[in-house]
Amino acid sequence: MLSVALITFAGLVALCLAMEKHFGELLKRKPKPGQLPALRWAGWALLVLSLILAVNVRGLAFGLVEWFALVMAGLTLWVFGLPYQPRLLLGLALVSVLLGPVLAALGV
Amino acid sequence: MKEGFRQAMAWLHTWTGLLFGWLLFAIFLTGTLSYFKDEITHWSQPEVQRHQLDPAASLGLAQRYLQSNAATAGSWFIRLPSDREPALSVSWRDPNATGRRGFISHELDARSGERVEVRDSRGGDFFYRFHFQLQMPHPWGRWLATFCALIMLLGLVTGIITHKKIFKEFFTFRPGKGQRSWLDGHNAIGVLVLPFHLMISYSSLLLFMYMVMPASIMAAYKGESDTYFSELFGRDEAPKAAGVAAPLTDLPALYAKVQTIVPGARIGYLQVANPGDSNARVTVTQAAADHVAYQRSANWTFDGVSGAQLSQGEPESAAMMTSFTIAGLHMGNFAGPWLRWLYFVFGVAGTAVIGTGLVMWLGKRQLKHAKSGRLPFELRLVEVLNIASMSGLLLGVAGFFWANRLLPIGMPGRADWEINVFFLAWALSPLHALLRPGRKAWGEQLALGALAFAGLPLLNAVVTGHGLDQSIARGDWAMAGFDLTALGTGLFLAWAAGKMLRTPNVQAKRAPRAAKAASTTAEVN
Amino acid sequence: MKRKAGGILLSYRLAVASRCLAALLGGYLLASMASVCITLLVPMTPVDATLTGMMLSFVFYLLAFIWCFACRTAARAWLGVLLPSLALALINGLAYWMKNP
Repeated sequence: MLSVALITFAGLVALCLAMEKHFGELLKRKPKPGQLPALRWAGWALLVLSLILAVNVRGLAFGLVEWFALVMAGLTLWVFGLPYQPRLLLGLALVSVLLGPVLAALGV
Repeated sequence: MKEGFRQAMAWLHTWTGLLFGWLLFAIFLTGTLSYFKDEITHWSQPEVQRHQLDPAASLGLAQRYLQSNAATAGSWFIRLPSDREPALSVSWRDPNATGRRGFISHELDARSGERVEVRDSRGGDFFYRFHFQLQMPHPWGRWLATFCALIMLLGLVTGIITHKKIFKEFFTFRPGKGQRSWLDGHNAIGVLVLPFHLMISYSSLLLFMYMVMPASIMAAYKGESDTYFSELFGRDEAPKAAGVAAPLTDLPALYAKVQTIVPGARIGYLQVANPGDSNARVTVTQAAADHVAYQRSANWTFDGVSGAQLSQGEPESAAMMTSFTIAGLHMGNFAGPWLRWLYFVFGVAGTAVIGTGLVMWLGKRQLKHAKSGRLPFELRLVEVLNIASMSGLLLGVAGFFWANRLLPIGMPGRADWEINVFFLAWALSPLHALLRPGRKAWGEQLALGALAFAGLPLLNAVVTGHGLDQSIARGDWAMAGFDLTALGTGLFLAWAAGKMLRTPNVQAKRAPRAAKAASTTAEVN
Repeated sequence: MKRKAGGILLSYRLAVASRCLAALLGGYLLASMASVCITLLVPMTPVDATLTGMMLSFVFYLLAFIWCFACRTAARAWLGVLLPSLALALINGLAYWMKNP
């Protein structure tokens, strides 16, 4: 389920960055045209992917419950961590989007 | 109420939040603790040893014990040890027995089958029962707790309606800005963990719906609620004893039979009706930990003499699966370690939603009186109740655990006295709060709480042989986890106490600026 | 909320109290009636129908609460819970009578 957690986290961060206000605050630049919609698509796609992964690995009942739990946990970590360690969390998101699919392929 | 829908909902949110917040905080805090009730019980009764699980062997030991000690009993109950509950529990109903409704209950060592002398303590079970019974006589506590669940649900819904920028400010939390930060925090933990909060509140209503909303049962079953329950749970009544002696079949063999039916199933408990009689029946029930939903079908009944399978629990309908799933989500029995910790964290979040709301309710109105320094009676009352319901409750919880370690082991009524200490410690809080100015009362109680919680690992190590060094070395993570969580709680309370005791009357100066900020965020009035 | 004549304050307080009662008692009545209505009308076994009715009843209780504080007057609060309750009670009576001749 670690891969699910990571991919979920990456998706949530993407959705946050898809908002112009947060993009500007966190990445310290203006988004180029098309970047915000791309982030929104990527974010939702990652969330859907993590949900499918969760249900695949753990079955419908456990998969759904654990996915929701990971979404809420990821959101809480992100929103409450952001004012204190924005770069650490952005780094974690980057690691997540890269490592998550790898771990998923390895069955972790 | 003339001002518009959102304003009306904000009014409703604020007032129901205040009036029920104090009680809801207690329900949520003790309910959150309940997710680790087995671990808390383990800490409270360290005499029970954890062993590598061997359910079949333990079952054999239980049977032998019951055969020797309860051969004439009308029914036996055996709860097998699990990852979270190390004890092998046996109980039986005996007409000659004292104790609750004629039940005798013994804890056995899972490996030796010997009876374990444990210190008399309710352990985690106290907090579990408190959170839905509120220490009130039956059934009033359940009614009140269920009504509080309705108010919590109402608070969530009115909160959502009131929160204008729920999507715009979804990821927003701005610390260090006074009242604005409290509101951000309150909104954030409300919204980000909303699925959990909604599930917990709604499921609370469901769990006692048969009691608080019985009209449908009355209408569909003409008042015969027994029929409703037997149709719901799908169990046949065990036959009466025949009066003919017959040896009880080997229980571990039945355990093995169930393993062939459902390989890998964890078994929760066994019930034996009429042991030693020709009409004996054995029902084996799968552990709740194996499914999200409660499964009425996950039990198998065998003939107690021949061991032949007689029946299995009836399959669930869609409506049953719905309600059993919602109930199962509330209980969280299926949660493994990481998910259980998340349940705990989300429970703390729910508790914090309520706590931050209470603090904000007062904080906003306090600003108007910052210059005079004296609060009108109503606000002073709210202040005392806030302190009592939050830091007071925490002191009560700590007191319970200190009593557990300090009360003499053989003391009669020991378990009740642990509970008395809980309430006494809690009761001292409003008394102290009445005598001290608000901020100081907060700070002093939080500081005491910090000492009390942080001191628990040390107390544990000194009084028992189960201190952190021992428990970690033995791999007893339930014991170690409790001590570490207590330490963490102590550190958090110390930080909070520091905040309360430090910042002196910068309040009065900030009042005009903060009042301006508060008025621009007049979403919740 | 300014403290004008004591009369205005009292009438405000009475109106709030009235709405509270309408929500608490009237809401409970509405929820119970809705619960029974669902149970008697939905094409399921008695146990499933009972479960469904009870599970959905709380939605009605919630809506009643919201109505009682959102509507313009306390009188409307009462009407808004009592009239539907009456209508449901009539339907329930008819359905019950038809099921149990």
